Amino acid sequence: MNNPKQYKPRKAPIIRSQGLSRRTMLRGVVGGATVALALPLLEIMLDQHGEALAGGGPLPRRMITWFFGNGCALNVTGDVNSGLRFWPSAEGPGYDVTPQLAPLANAGVIDYCSVLSKFEVKAAAENRRGHHDGCTLFSGYPFIEVDGANYSSKSGGPTIDQVAANEIGGQTYLPSVQLQISKRILTTEGPTLQYLSHKGPDQPLPQIADPQAAWNKLFASFTPDDDPTTPHRLAALDAVGEDTRALKQRVGSADRIRLDAHLDSVAQIRNQIAASAPECMQPVQPSETNTDIDGQEPLISVNEVMSDLLALAFACDLTRVASVQFTGSVASTVFSDLGQNMGHHDMTHEAAQNEAIDASTIYTMERLAYLLSALRDTPEGNGNLLDNSCVLVSSDCSSGLTHSTFDQPIIVAGGGGGALKYPGVHYRSPKRENTSDILLACLQSVCPGASEVGGTLGHSSSPLSAILA
Amino acid sequence: MLMNHASSTLLLTALLLATSCSSGEVPSDAFSTFGGFDDMGGDGDPDDALFAEPRIRLLLERQYVNAVGDLLGPAAAMAASPRADVTLNGFDAIGAAQLSLTDADIDAYERSAVAVAAAAVADPTKLSPYLSCTPLSPSDPDCMRSFVDAFGLMAWRRPLDAAELDRWSAVGVSAAADFGTFTRGVESVIAGMLQSPNFIYQVELGAASDDGAGQRKLSGYELATRMSFFLLDTTPSATLLEAAAAGELDDADGVRGWAEELLLDPRARLAFNSYFEELLHLRKLAEIAKDPGTYPSWSPELADSMKAETIALIDEIVWTENGDFRDILDAEYTFVDEALADHYELASPGPSGFQKVPVPPGEKRGGIFGHAGLLSVLAHVSSSSPTVRGKFIQERMLCFSIPPPPPGTVTDLPSTEDAKTMRERLALHQEDPLCASCHTIMDPPGLGLENYDGVGKYRTLDNGAPIDALSALDGAPFEGALELGQALREREQFSWCSVLNLYRHATGHVEASGEVERLREVDEAFIDAEYRLEAAIVELVSSRAFRYVGEQN
Repeated sequence: MNNPKQYKPRKAPIIRSQGLSRRTMLRGVVGGATVALALPLLEIMLDQHGEALAGGGPLPRRMITWFFGNGCALNVTGDVNSGLRFWPSAEGPGYDVTPQLAPLANAGVIDYCSVLSKFEVKAAAENRRGHHDGCTLFSGYPFIEVDGANYSSKSGGPTIDQVAANEIGGQTYLPSVQLQISKRILTTEGPTLQYLSHKGPDQPLPQIADPQAAWNKLFASFTPDDDPTTPHRLAALDAVGEDTRALKQRVGSADRIRLDAHLDSVAQIRNQIAASAPECMQPVQPSETNTDIDGQEPLISVNEVMSDLLALAFACDLTRVASVQFTGSVASTVFSDLGQNMGHHDMTHEAAQNEAIDASTIYTMERLAYLLSALRDTPEGNGNLLDNSCVLVSSDCSSGLTHSTFDQPIIVAGGGGGALKYPGVHYRSPKRENTSDILLACLQSVCPGASEVGGTLGHSSSPLSAILA
Repeated sequence: MLMNHASSTLLLTALLLATSCSSGEVPSDAFSTFGGFDDMGGDGDPDDALFAEPRIRLLLERQYVNAVGDLLGPAAAMAASPRADVTLNGFDAIGAAQLSLTDADIDAYERSAVAVAAAAVADPTKLSPYLSCTPLSPSDPDCMRSFVDAFGLMAWRRPLDAAELDRWSAVGVSAAADFGTFTRGVESVIAGMLQSPNFIYQVELGAASDDGAGQRKLSGYELATRMSFFLLDTTPSATLLEAAAAGELDDADGVRGWAEELLLDPRARLAFNSYFEELLHLRKLAEIAKDPGTYPSWSPELADSMKAETIALIDEIVWTENGDFRDILDAEYTFVDEALADHYELASPGPSGFQKVPVPPGEKRGGIFGHAGLLSVLAHVSSSSPTVRGKFIQERMLCFSIPPPPPGTVTDLPSTEDAKTMRERLALHQEDPLCASCHTIMDPPGLGLENYDGVGKYRTLDNGAPIDALSALDGAPFEGALELGQALREREQFSWCSVLNLYRHATGHVEASGEVERLREVDEAFIDAEYRLEAAIVELVSSRAFRYVGEQN
C-alpha cells in the first residue's frame, strides 16, 4: 500500500531482423577502435519522414545531467562581486562566445546551447552549507542535514534525471545510467556531495567510473534468451521478493520504505534478466579502465570513451536517462593536462588562482563539448541524438571563493526533441528566477505532461519559457 | 537531541510537494529520513526510554565477503562482490543502516550470489556441513528441505519458519528437477538465500521487554549476530548460535563472557584493524593523489606502507601488549619497512618487512599524528592543511562537531607572495570574527603539526620561511606530534570519543540520549581498566546500549 508504483510491462529493446537488409550502419569510436553499430530504430520504426515512429509515437527523448564541481572563475580576480567570466555579454540567440564557451563553439555545438545566468538556486536557501546547498540545483529540494556527528547531508528529493527515469525509464532496458569521470571525489560528507543522481534522500545512485564496467553494464549484461538458468534466477528473485514482503511486516516505518525500494529494484532486475538482448551490434570492449598513470587521472580518454558509450547506448535505446559527474563537489581532481598541481577544490578557494580556475573551466567545457559532439554526430531520423536530448549542465556554486548559489554556471544543451529553443539563447534572469524553472523546462522536454518539480523553497510550477521552443 | 527537527518537518513537506512527470502524484520511491530519534519515549524512564529505534542494517562489504567465506569456503568468498559501502556520519555502518538499495545494488547482490553459489557447489566438501541426508532422487523434497533448514540457520543466523522452508525448498526442488541433479537445486537455493534480505541485512527487531519502558531486547540470535559482526566482522559461528539458543546471551554476564571468548579469535584483530583503517581514513591512502612535482617520493606502494605502519602500532598496543589505548597518541616507537625508513630517513630495517624502531629523532614525533599516513591523508595534493588536520582531531578524536562556515563567507587565502607560511596564510582565520569562532577550534591543533609536510616528512621551512609550530590544543600549548598526543591523552573527551566511535560503528547509529547514559558507564569501565581497549569493547558489548534497541517507529 505504501508503494503505488506499478511496473509497466517492459519492452525489451529488440528489433527483429526484417529490417536488417537496409539497416544503416552507425560509426562509433570506442577506445580508439572504430566500430559499426546497427541503428535499428531508424530503419524499421520510423515513419516516411524520419520524424516519428511509424506507429505514430514521437522519437525517444533523452535527458542527461552533467556536473562539474566548485564553480568558475571570477571576472575580476579577487572581486567577489564581479560576476563570472563564463557569461556572454549579449543576450538572446547568437550571443558572444566567451573563452569559456569557445570549446562548444569550436565543436560546432554551441547553437544547441542555451546559457542561463543570474538564476537563484531557491532550494539552497533552506539549509545552508557550502557546496551541499548548490547541489540542490539538480533536484529542486533543500538538502537534508544528517547532523549529530561527522556532518553529512542527503539529497532532499529525487534529482531531475530520476524524476524523468521514474516516468520513462520503464520503456528501456535500463531506466538510467550513472557515470563518473574523475575518481577524486569527496566521500566523507554524505550522498549529496558524493553522488549526482538520487532517487530520494536514502537512494543515492552509485556511479560507474570504469569504462569497462560501463561497457559491461550497457552492452554485455544481457542474459541470453536460451540460458537454462534464467527461470531459476527469476524464481530465486521471486522468493527474495516474498522474503522481503514478509520482513516488511515486521520492521518500523523507515525500514518499510527501504524495503519498498528493495522490492522495486528486485522487480527491475527481474525484468532485466528476463529481457531479450537488443540486436544492436555490440561495440568492442574499451581498453580504458580509468586507472591513474603515474598518479594522474586519464580524464580526457575516460571522458571520450564514456561519452561514446553513452551515445551508443542512446542510439540502441538501452536507456534514455543518464547522469555524468565529470568532477565531484569539493573534489580534489588535479587537471594535470593543464600542468596544474593543486586539487581543484582547494584551488577554487584562493583568489590568486583565478586564472588556473578559469583554465580548468575551459578544459571542462572541452570535455563537455566532446559529449555533445558524440550525440550530435549520431544520426537519428532526420536529425541526431542531440536534437532529441536535453543536457543540463551545472555546478555546486557560482565560484569556489563565494560559495554563492546565485548565478551558478548553467547550460541547457540539445533540441529536446523539438521542445527546446534552437538555436539556443543567453537568457539573463531579470529577477533571480528559480533554477527549478530550468529543471521543469528540461523535464517537460522528455515528459511533456510534467507540471512541477522540487519541493518547498525549490518548488516550481513555471517552466522557463525562454528556453522552450 | 540528535535529530534535527527542522529536517523531519521539511521531509514531510517535501513528500507532500513531491512530483513526478504525472503532476500531483507522489513518487513511490519516496523519501525516508534517518533514524528519527525524536518522538521516542515521552512516558516512562526519561533516560532509558530514549534508545534509538532498530533498523535493518546491511552487512558491510568486508562482512559480506567474510560471511560468505565462513559459510561456503574461500573460493566462494573470492567470487563474492557485494555493493560498495557508503559512508554517512563518518561511518559505513551508519550508511548501511539508513540507505536504501538501488537497482545497481540489487544487480550486484544477484550476480554475486549466483557466482558464489557456483563456486560453492564446485567443491562438495563445502556443502557437507548442511547435508545430513542422501537424496533419494535428484529432486528429493525432504532432503532439499533439510538442506534449506541447515543452510538457512547459518546464513540467516536464525531458524527458518515454515513458510520460508516451503518457499526455498520449492526453489531448490524445481531447479533440481529441471537439471536432473540435486546439486543444481542446492546451487539455486544458495544463490537465492544469499540475496535474501535475511542474509544481506542484520535484522534487529528486538522484542518488548518487561524491564524497560520504550525498549526492546534483542533476541539471542540477533545479539549473537550483532556481536559477531562487530567483534569479528563475520557471521556468527554454529557454536555461538547454539549458545544464543541456549539463552547464554540473555543477560549482561553471559554476553560479557562470550565477548571475551570471541575476542580471543584472531579475526578480532583483523576486524578492529579494519575499523581503525576506516576511523582514521587510512583506506583513503590508496585513492588520494599527491603532486609528483611537490612530493616526488609518493607512490601507491609507499602509501600502503604508511597504512601498515599505523595499523601495526595500534595492533601492537591494543592486542600484543593489551596496553593503554592512549599510547597510540604518544608512543615513541613505531614500525617501518624499507620504504618508510627511506621516507623518514631512518636506517634501513632490511628487506624482511616491518621492524619496531624508535621514532625519528629530533622531529618531535610520537604516536599516530607523527605517522606519515595520517599526515598525508589529512593534507592537500600539494601542501599540508592545518585546517583539515585540526578538524579531524576535533571531530574524530574528540567528537566535537564543527559548524559549517556561515553563508556568504569568502574563503580566500592570501597568496604565497603575501604570506609565506601556511600559518601566516591562515592568520585571517583567527582574526576575522566570522571565521574565528570555528577556526580557533580547528586550525591550532593542525598548526602544531606544520613541521610535517603533505606527505609527513619533517621540515623546518615552508615556502622558504621558518615554521613556527608552537600551538595549542584548546588552550594547552604544544609543538609537534608527540606533545599533541600527550595533550590529547589527558583529555577526558578522548576516551569518551573512542567509546562513541566504537558504538557508532557497532550499531550503525549516532547514540541517542538514553544510550549516552549507558555509554558513560562504558567509558568509566574503560578508564578503570587503565584504558585497555579490549575492556572497553567487552563493556560496550555487554552494555544495555548494545543489547537493547528502542521502540519501532
